[in-house]
Amino acid sequence: MAPVFLVARREYLAYVTAWGFWVSLITAPLLFAALIFAPLLLARAEPPRALAIVAEQSADARNVEAGFEREARTDARAEIEIYLEASAPGVAERALAAFDAAPDRASAIVAARVEAGARAAAFPSPAPRYFVVPAPGADIEALKPYLSGERTLADGRALFGALNIRRDQAGAPSIEYWSANLQHDEPTSIARRAMRLEMQREALAAQGLARGEADRLAAFEPKVAQFDPRPSAGASGEVTLRQRAPFFAAIGLSLVLWTVVFSVANMLLSGVIEEKSNKILDTLLTSVTPIDLLLGKLLGVAAVSATLFVFWGGLGASLMQFAPASMGDSFIGQLAAAFAEPRLVVAFAVGFVTGYLMFGAIFLALGSLCESIQEAQTLLGPVTIILMLPMLLIGPAVDNPNSPLIQAASWVPLFTPFLMLIRAPTGLSWAEIAGQGALLLATVALLLFLAAQVFRAGIVNQLSVTALFGRKKQRD
Amino acid sequence: MIALEAEGLAKNYGARAAVRGLSFQVPKGAIYGVLGPNGAGKSSTLRMLVGVLKPSAGRIAMLGGPITRETLRRVGYLPEERGLYRNMNARAAIAYLARLKGTPAQAAFKRADDLLNAHGLGSVKRKRIKTLSKGMAQKVQVLAAIAHEPDLIIFDEPFSGLDPVNQRVLEETIRAQAAAGRTILFSTHVMEHAERLCDRILLIAQGAKAFEGTVSEALALAPSIATLETEGGFDLAAALAPKGFTIEAIGEEHGNRRWRAKLDGGGSRQLLQACVEAGAPLSLFEPARASLHEAFVALVGDRVAHGSTR
Repeated sequence: MAPVFLVARREYLAYVTAWGFWVSLITAPLLFAALIFAPLLLARAEPPRALAIVAEQSADARNVEAGFEREARTDARAEIEIYLEASAPGVAERALAAFDAAPDRASAIVAARVEAGARAAAFPSPAPRYFVVPAPGADIEALKPYLSGERTLADGRALFGALNIRRDQAGAPSIEYWSANLQHDEPTSIARRAMRLEMQREALAAQGLARGEADRLAAFEPKVAQFDPRPSAGASGEVTLRQRAPFFAAIGLSLVLWTVVFSVANMLLSGVIEEKSNKILDTLLTSVTPIDLLLGKLLGVAAVSATLFVFWGGLGASLMQFAPASMGDSFIGQLAAAFAEPRLVVAFAVGFVTGYLMFGAIFLALGSLCESIQEAQTLLGPVTIILMLPMLLIGPAVDNPNSPLIQAASWVPLFTPFLMLIRAPTGLSWAEIAGQGALLLATVALLLFLAAQVFRAGIVNQLSVTALFGRKKQRD
Repeated sequence: MIALEAEGLAKNYGARAAVRGLSFQVPKGAIYGVLGPNGAGKSSTLRMLVGVLKPSAGRIAMLGGPITRETLRRVGYLPEERGLYRNMNARAAIAYLARLKGTPAQAAFKRADDLLNAHGLGSVKRKRIKTLSKGMAQKVQVLAAIAHEPDLIIFDEPFSGLDPVNQRVLEETIRAQAAAGRTILFSTHVMEHAERLCDRILLIAQGAKAFEGTVSEALALAPSIATLETEGGFDLAAALAPKGFTIEAIGEEHGNRRWRAKLDGGGSRQLLQACVEAGAPLSLFEPARASLHEAFVALVGDRVAHGSTR
């Protein structure tokens, strides 16, 4: 076997025979899922916040309380709709109609659950963010000990905030919101909407119209649809989940690409530092050239990455095998299908190979200059800032993949692998693909050449950070 | 037959010249020592010989030709800064380095097993390098350097870090390899190893050649000395000064005086004859054999030689 493949094989086995590799291989998808679902779960984990309402007119208090009920019902409907679209889109319309027909929030949730039936086993039971409690005092002065935490409500819970609704001499309402939490002011928005509706009712009544007209007018909602003018969007051009799924898949893949590229580049860095600190390089260099060593390391760690992708891809494919056929039209089903789209697979593969070679070469060169991880960290600081830039561009690229900023940034080879992937679903022109591809390949070749020179100087001539910037080290 | 030849070899690190115009030849099958204090340029010379360092000037011929990847496959090298992959086991480490030198996988593992068993390390062959003692790990690395059965073996300071028992074992290994027809070149700053092992030696000081030849040729360059003891208050120095001998008093014991005589040019026989002729009441006459270290001091001067040599 050629030395370069022996080096690659050793590198590969050194990682995949370590138990830590398999632990991270298995835990990474779980952590990724936790990253997505943790905010949702945390939000649910927080108990509803207790609010009290004091008002000069009792009707105002009732109206605002009804406003909170409407808000909670709207939230519950949105959560159920997301769940049904993702898991059982076939029953979504019927279940939501049942929800809308129910008289109150609690019965609406039950009605939707019944309509969804057995196909929605893990049906959500959304909790409201706020619940209105009877005010433990007649005015704000009396509520202050509760709001400051000196006293608790009769059931032992803390009073999160209080709304004081007043009327001036002309009957115009004003809302005061009292709370020790200065950052969170959402209750004011809910109360404002409720009071605005009440003011509209009063205005209509003053003109001799029915008060309920205001509620009817507020319920008016135009039907909105989104269309894509490009021929590739099909005859109708309507944008559905099927069209959007590749964008979500591209965002997910670009995050995976960034994470994997920098994880494996770090493996290269620590690997070469380990060899330097283990004093094994002189022994190796009588058998392999520095370039063989560099290529062997790049190949070996690339094979480690391939193992990651094969494992995760296989895991995803296996899970899809067990998914019910009805999920094919769901958001998850569409997303899964998008991951396997050839344009995304090709963009991901090209992005990984070029990104890995570029950043791997940089990290290998840096590692060859360092005697220890501590020394590497002094160099990695500024390098990491540069390497974080693609992540900063992912946000704007998601918002508008074809904005002038993103289009220009796509021509910067360090960003190209990540941005090309995100932009792939929008349909790149052949000129862009050819131009950016050529620039990317030229940069990869240049970086590999430069890295090889630094690597050779680092491992053969003992060029180091210390020698470059500090006390010189000389051999016998 | 010449196994290794260097001509005008030089290495500069920036403005500092580490090796300056070294020329020497290592005969095939010889045990050849490169000696010198720390900082003399031994490691730089050896690293150039194995192709790790590029010479600033000079020419190297190895195993009948210039240094190429193919020639280097026939060379075993133990660097001064030693190390193996800490998570590899001893057997795998030896086999891996042998395979890098072109040995087929099956043969590499067989040789690793044979060498480990023959050197008393059979019981630890499945243990990871990081769990072995420093001495054991060093023995494993020596075995790794010879596992591919090289024609030329180059060891850089192979005895450093080994206890006296293992130093003897390594000496035996070196002799066995030489007996098998291999050429061995090793560097050391401990002259005794070279005296016991080497057919020829190269003495280096400050990057330049101070001597190249056999051990006995080097010893002949060292000034011999003799220790003498005279009874009573006899002044031997004064008595022999007219005959050209340099003698210094080194102490007194039980009323007898002790002297050290440098045998510059003359031998111990002439000194003894002069003592008799001068009527010296000798109670002790002990000629001493010169050491390689003393030869080195004589060649390069006390200040240079006493860098770290013993």
